[in-house]
Amino acid sequence: MTQNTDTGDDSGDALPDGGVAEDGQRSGFSPISALNERFGSDFVESSQFWLPPFLLVGLFVYGAIIWNLLISLTDFTGFGTPDYGDLDLEMYGRALADSGFIDAAINTFILLVGFTLVTLALGLGLAILIDRNIRFENTFRTIYLLPMSLSFVVTAQFWAWMFNFNNGVINIVITSLGFGRVDWIGNPDIVLWAVMFALMWQFAGYAMVVFLAGLRAIPNEHYEAAKVDGASTVRMYWRVIIPQLKGSTISASVVLMVFALKAFDFLYSLVGGYRPPNGADILATKMVREAYANLNWAYASAVAITLFLMTLGIVGPYLYYQYNRGNL
Amino acid sequence: MTDQDSRLSRRHFVGATGAATLTGLAGCSGGSDGGDGGDGSDGGDGSDGGDGGDGGNTLEVLHAWTGGDGARAAEALVAAFEEEYPDIEHEFNPIGGGGNQNLDAVVANRLQNGDPPSSFANWPGPNLQRYEGVLGEVGGVWESEGFEDVMVQEAVDLHQYNGAYRGVPLGSHRLNCLFYNTSVVEEAGVDPDSLTSVSALIDALETVQSETDAIPMTHGASGTWTTTQLFASTMLGQEGYDAYMSFIDGSPDEAAVRATFESLAEILGNYINEDASSIGLTESNQNIIEGNAAFIHQGNWAAGAYRNAEDFDYDEDWGFKTYPGSEGMYMLHFDSFLYPSDNPSPDATEQFMAFVGSEAAQVAFNQYKGSIPTRTDVDMSQFGPYLQETQEDFANADQRPPNLQHGLGVPSGTMTTLNDVISSEFSGPYNVDAATEGFVDAVSN
Repeated sequence: MTQNTDTGDDSGDALPDGGVAEDGQRSGFSPISALNERFGSDFVESSQFWLPPFLLVGLFVYGAIIWNLLISLTDFTGFGTPDYGDLDLEMYGRALADSGFIDAAINTFILLVGFTLVTLALGLGLAILIDRNIRFENTFRTIYLLPMSLSFVVTAQFWAWMFNFNNGVINIVITSLGFGRVDWIGNPDIVLWAVMFALMWQFAGYAMVVFLAGLRAIPNEHYEAAKVDGASTVRMYWRVIIPQLKGSTISASVVLMVFALKAFDFLYSLVGGYRPPNGADILATKMVREAYANLNWAYASAVAITLFLMTLGIVGPYLYYQYNRGNL
Repeated sequence: MTDQDSRLSRRHFVGATGAATLTGLAGCSGGSDGGDGGDGSDGGDGSDGGDGGDGGNTLEVLHAWTGGDGARAAEALVAAFEEEYPDIEHEFNPIGGGGNQNLDAVVANRLQNGDPPSSFANWPGPNLQRYEGVLGEVGGVWESEGFEDVMVQEAVDLHQYNGAYRGVPLGSHRLNCLFYNTSVVEEAGVDPDSLTSVSALIDALETVQSETDAIPMTHGASGTWTTTQLFASTMLGQEGYDAYMSFIDGSPDEAAVRATFESLAEILGNYINEDASSIGLTESNQNIIEGNAAFIHQGNWAAGAYRNAEDFDYDEDWGFKTYPGSEGMYMLHFDSFLYPSDNPSPDATEQFMAFVGSEAAQVAFNQYKGSIPTRTDVDMSQFGPYLQETQEDFANADQRPPNLQHGLGVPSGTMTTLNDVISSEFSGPYNVDAATEGFVDAVSN
């Protein structure tokens, strides 16, 4: 040790890795050190790890989004190449004048908000129940999580059968309770809620797992302190526990909302085509229909950009929140 | 090691990584070409689709016949092709799902990317508009094989677009069909052959409803296409050939459209199964087979299910009636193969086109598919009695109006709009005014 320090005194700074920095190197200008100074140490050295994926993601994700934006500004239909010389917002104007687009956007929004809120509430309820040290805890957890492991194609077919007017299990149950049958798929006022219910069934387990992890991270002392202070169970959860689940709530809602935007798979499988039942059309199905049934590439791109902006509106605040907390 | 050395070697490393990344990216962009070659030529002859000039590549054919009758018919077609042209390397790729939707999407992507297959299955007629600029011409095949002489005139007309032949028909389904379960209509005391107008059909449906427990008319409306094609047959039967033709030609008579929707609203509002909106064609057709329903309107692909059902024979258990009012007419449908320009295997594809229009191919395919040859000079002995009758109707029809829902009547964009209208205005509750307005607007030039 002492010896090391001595040598250091004699011939420049010893570096942690045993290398020796030379004075000449340090004082001279080099683009690498300039980059390192600007973006933090090891910027250049570490680039071999992050640069290739950065370029690939940049090209295939962000490059594609920008290209998509460009196409949405053209009038591109059919086959051939789009004319990039004449860019305008005509397709967005057309979208605003298209009642089908407006309906789809509203449905997307309703699905987004309704599905997320209900799934969060249900997931939280399940998580609290499971957290009460019940018997067969693992079994219940598996049962609730299982639907999420099934693909949309499978669950959509299940629900198509269960929602059947004549012999679907749901109508059989409600008629045996003395109510009239409901046309779940055929009634345009109901179908979106029916779809939402099916999606909620599938994703409540996921919300439950996220909340359960959040609950388990809360120290036992908080529960004990609340009990010592005489709080009832409901009050304890409402005032002490749930406020601490903010992080879980936010991350679960972002994932759920993104899933709601991707409900395309479910609707596609429900009817076996690009056109969902009347009243359940969402932007994703509208986009695919415009692109592949009508070859209206520019219009479909405009729908896609709208959908992208909706997603950004959800993910953006989340990223900002995480950034403020120093997690990014 | 000195710091200088370490810097240098790191710099080299960074440089090497950068180069590797660039190569990788170049590989990606080049990779799609390579992939095309892989798609097009399984045998690894190394030339990819780009050269286009020589016909040495594998014949790649895309179609959507993946299940049941369709798959068996496609197998029979491939077997017949192998027998006829044993030297042509080929690859028949079925792309199923969503009717033709997944096939259409794959074809659209590949045409868009300049990577066309040798040929793909699709409908001719106004449907060809969406492939504007990417279809080649096969007039040479039509001429050398003499197709113009053996196909019906409508086939000759509908396969031309911008003055050139774009494909060859393989088979034809009939659209203006009413199928019935014999025992149910007998129980109701209805004679299907006496139904020669839409109003007679509605009376018959009423009789079935009052006399039996069966569903008068079964309808699978989870997709809108069944209702759109029912509109076409009802309009043809009720308003006549001329009104129907002016509708699809873009000068619709508003009163005729409205009257058709009024009849449809009466049928759909009163006489169909309650679960129509949650079932598709397969389940709907099952109602006929199981004796739960009296009538169904469909293209004659529905008859394929009857043939495959046990103890369910033509004339004994199920019957066919031309859709009431459209007697003497054959509402046309074609299954065709189209020819993309910039063809990866021009010579082989032309041979395949010649094969598609030949008697061997049309007999092999259609007898399993439940459709009929588009040639009128084919020996029908291998077909069952129902298809033999259909073929006679086809050959002797007074008129062969094009269908509305399967590409021959209107371009695909119009078809989508019509289905949008059905979806939003006519899938219950039935809004005659809005649907009439939507249909008239959609087709008007």
